[in-house]
Formats: sequence, C-alpha cells, structure tokens
Amino acid sequence: MRHLSEDQLVELYYGEASRGVSAHEQACRECSTRFAELRQSLDAIRSTEGVRRRADYGDRVWESLRPRLVPCEKKTAGWRAWGQWRAALVAMGCALLLAGAFFGGRYWERIATRKADVAANPGREATQRVVVVVLADHLDRTERLLVALEHANPSDHAENAQLQSSAQELLASNQLYRTAASHADDPLLAGALDQLEGVLAEVANDPNLTPADLRRVRDQMNAEGILFEIRVLMARKPEQAGGPKAAKGASI
Amino acid sequence: MQEPDHSVVRAVLAGDKDAYGALVRAHSGSVFRVAFRIIGNEADAEEIVQEAFLRGYQRLESFQQRSGFGTWIYRIAVNCALNRLSQPGIEAEYRHGEDSDPQEKTVQVAAKDADPERLLLTREIGAAQEMAMQRLTPTEKTAFVLRHLEDRSMNEIAEVLSIAPNAAKQAVFRAVQKLRRELAPLRGTA
Repeated sequence: MRHLSEDQLVELYYGEASRGVSAHEQACRECSTRFAELRQSLDAIRSTEGVRRRADYGDRVWESLRPRLVPCEKKTAGWRAWGQWRAALVAMGCALLLAGAFFGGRYWERIATRKADVAANPGREATQRVVVVVLADHLDRTERLLVALEHANPSDHAENAQLQSSAQELLASNQLYRTAASHADDPLLAGALDQLEGVLAEVANDPNLTPADLRRVRDQMNAEGILFEIRVLMARKPEQAGGPKAAKGASI
Repeated sequence: MQEPDHSVVRAVLAGDKDAYGALVRAHSGSVFRVAFRIIGNEADAEEIVQEAFLRGYQRLESFQQRSGFGTWIYRIAVNCALNRLSQPGIEAEYRHGEDSDPQEKTVQVAAKDADPERLLLTREIGAAQEMAMQRLTPTEKTAFVLRHLEDRSMNEIAEVLSIAPNAAKQAVFRAVQKLRRELAPLRGTA
C-alpha cells in the first residue's frame, strides 16, 4: 500500500485533495498520524495572527495619503487647457483674419479711390506737365532776356526798347507764375520768381534805361545769382514732374 | 460592496479626489493585514499600505471594473510587499538572529491557563515561527501567506504572483516543508 506524500497531505489540509486521498487518510493509520502532525504544525502557525489595527486606521491612512494625491481632473485639465489654448488660437486667428480683411479692404479701397481719381480727373497729370512746360518756357525766355541784357549794347536804343517790351511781357507772366507758385506751396520757385520779378520790373518799367542802368542790372543779376538759380529751377521742375529734362538750361 | 466601489472609482476619475478616502477607509485594514503577514514588520507594512493606495490612485484609470476594487488593491499590496521582500536590505533585516542556536528554539509550552512562564513560551514560539517564515523565499512566503492565512485559492495566488497555478502550488508545498522542518523542535509543545 502506497502512503500519501507530504504534498498530498498538504492538499488534504487545504481541502484540495481528491476523494481517494481523503479516503486513504481515513483508512491508513500511519497517514492519519502524519496528517495530524501536519495539521498541528500548520494550525499553530494559523493561530499566531498578526497585529490588528484600530478602527480609525483607515482615517489615519487617508490623512497621510491625501496630500500626496493629485486630483484626476488635473490629468484632464491638460486637455481642457489645450482646449482653451485651441479656442484662444482660433479666436486669435479670427482676429487676424478680420484685421487682415480690414486693412486689405482699406488698401484696396485706397487703390480703387486712386484709380477712380485718375479716372475722374484724367487731365490732372497732363495739366501738371503743361504747367511745367509753360513755366519752363517762361524761364527759358527770361533767361534769354537776361543773357541779352548781359550782352546788350547800351547805346543801341532799338535793342533796348525791344528788350524792355519783352521784359514787360515776361513781368506780367512772371507775376502769374509767382502767384501760382505761392498757392502751390513752392517757396523756392516763388522766391526765385520774386527776385526775377524785381529785375524784370526794373527793366520793364524804366523807359529810359541808360547804359549805366543796364550795367547795374547786369551786376545785380550776377551778384544775386538769378541766372544760376533759374537754371537750377529749370533743371529741377521737369524731373520732378516726370517730364523731359531741361536740356536747354544745361546748354547755356 | 463591489458596485459602490465602482461608483466611487468613477467619482475619483471624474476629479473627486476625496472620494478615494472612502476606498482607503474600506480596504486599508485588509491591505495592512496581508502586508504585515508577508513582510512581518509593522512599520514596513504601514508603508506598504501607503504605497499600495498611492499606486492604486495613480493607476486607477487602468482599473478593470470586472473585478472588485478590494481584490485589485489587494494584489497591488501583495506586489508591493513582494518587492519589499526582494530588497537585499529587507532580507538581511529579516534574517537577523539567524545565527542563534537552533537548540534554543526547543521550548515547552505549558497549559492554556497561562501563567507568566507560559506567556513567555508562547511569545518565543511566535518568534520562532516568525523567524522560520523569514527564511522562506519571497515567493514561497507570499504564496504560503496567501494560501494559509488569507485563504486564497491557488489560482488567485498564481495570478497575484504572475506564475502558473502549479508553480504556485509547489511554492506552497515548499513553504510548508521548510516551516515544518524549522518548527520541528516545537512539535508537541503547543
């Protein structure tokens, strides 16, 4: 007869043995004795229970544990924060879009207005060019007069009378141009025309210009640099207006 | 108990941190008991309780609601205790007194109507049993505690220890063998 192994006795102790093992233990005195010894040993271990906790142990554990816990909502707070960031980004994007549309509209409106102005006043630029050309012609004629005065023969009365007549015409034109330059807020041109007007007025309004008078006028022109100033103005105005360069002034 | 636990878990996951306190209060006793039985040290067992509930809170999203929270946190505590046992320092602490004379463990236990001498003997028997327990490997000790003191089935033990059921059974058998051998001098005294 084969006796039970210790493992089988252990299984029997824990109630996991088969019926055959249980029957053998009851029938076999030796195995029954061994099982009794095993039960005594294991029961002795079972009887030494561990330390018991007080009723408020759970509260104490929770009190010490609680400060170490981060609320689970903070885990979702990341998503919530991301959601808020996303909303902020969308709002910022919308604001940028609106701002872009606004400024784009204004820019487009400005261009459209400019185009409309050009369309409404097609002769404005051309008119400016005409003014410049006319003024350049006036300055050209004035320059020729001043050069003629510079090289005139004081004893030639016919020539002097012709120069005086030209000076009177140029004086009338110059007064108009000076007034227009003042209104156009061009102080340089207005100043130069004013100086020129003084010379033209002296030549035009004195019917008995003596050679000494002409010499004095020429000296005044040279001293005040009116010719040079007129050349500069003639060179400047066409460039500013985008028109042809004043090659005439440069050729003198 | 399982359904209320599940609703509490849902509340905790929804952000109610304090709801976790109910779970701690309900299960801290059983968690401490198994931790103390495995680790054999009151202070360490209390630390394991804290660690187990902290880990449980941190992994609460992975809690499968098929099982009860008690079973789940119990397994975490057993794992924490097992890890603690596997630390060299802890093992050395448990093996303190190993060099004592085995003959000194042979004691006679008096009748149950205890006098001071019998109380002393009972205490010495308890110390000898504890020492014998500490001589087991972490797996053997844990398997034995779960089977013998916690009345867990072999399948549960196998699941907690992440081993095969037969391996869990063998661990229990080896533990019983070792304990009986260690406690043989006490036989017939209890």
